[in-house]
Amino acid sequence: MSYLVIAYAFAVALLGGFLIWSLRTLRDLDRR
Amino acid sequence: MKVNRYEKAAAGAVALMLVAFAAIFFYAPTDWLQGAVQRIFYLHVSSAIAAYGCFTVVLLGGLVFLRNESYAADRWARAGALVGVIFTTVTLVMGSLWAKKVWGQFWVWDARLTSTLVLWIIYAGYLLVRRLAEPGRQAARIGALVGIFGFVDVPVVHFSVTWWVTQHPGPVIVNDALPPEMLATFLFTMFCTIVFAAVLVVIRYRIETLRDAKQVLVEPAKVVSARQPEPVP
Repeated sequence: MSYLVIAYAFAVALLGGFLIWSLRTLRDLDRR
Repeated sequence: MKVNRYEKAAAGAVALMLVAFAAIFFYAPTDWLQGAVQRIFYLHVSSAIAAYGCFTVVLLGGLVFLRNESYAADRWARAGALVGVIFTTVTLVMGSLWAKKVWGQFWVWDARLTSTLVLWIIYAGYLLVRRLAEPGRQAARIGALVGIFGFVDVPVVHFSVTWWVTQHPGPVIVNDALPPEMLATFLFTMFCTIVFAAVLVVIRYRIETLRDAKQVLVEPAKVVSARQPEPVP
């Protein structure tokens, strides 16, 4: 069970973090 | 704060992924042999397929750039490579955690795992080349060649389980090995993951476009300042 939780927690953190970082970068570039 | 269309698309993609997670954890039945850990399968395989799609964008972008010198095609390639590497990372890490539970070890050097690691290294190398090389025609040409030749590994990864004897299981979809609820969950997760990847590629393309536009604005200024004549005493 713990491997399942770690696997999905990792995927959510990486994909979610990448999405948020990309949207923030886009906002910064748009603002400049 | 005004929400732009990229943020709206991202919110839609996240909502789809949340529905997919609900299907994975609350709709799909528990595998009788492996137990709950088998649920890793849904996002592990979907991420691999999304990565194939991203690397296809890199391939097409490279081919179009070499043919037409289209910098838009080069930007699509750059966007596809970064998102593809992210999804390949998800595939590798989730697969390793699944392997630890069912095989007793995180990694084996079989054809599927090794070729997937090579795929990750090829496109990480592509990103490194694009980061280190001076932006311009030469960097885009080198990137296009790496993207085109690197794509050779995609069919190797995909067919490795049928071409060689591997510890990694063979195809389960084409062999009708999944019960209907698992198959439906997998197909829905794959659809949501591909949409999520597509939204990420579009956002990264927009970022690359804005960066290139700034590069064009900044570069002539550099040239002008470098060519300014020295003051005559």
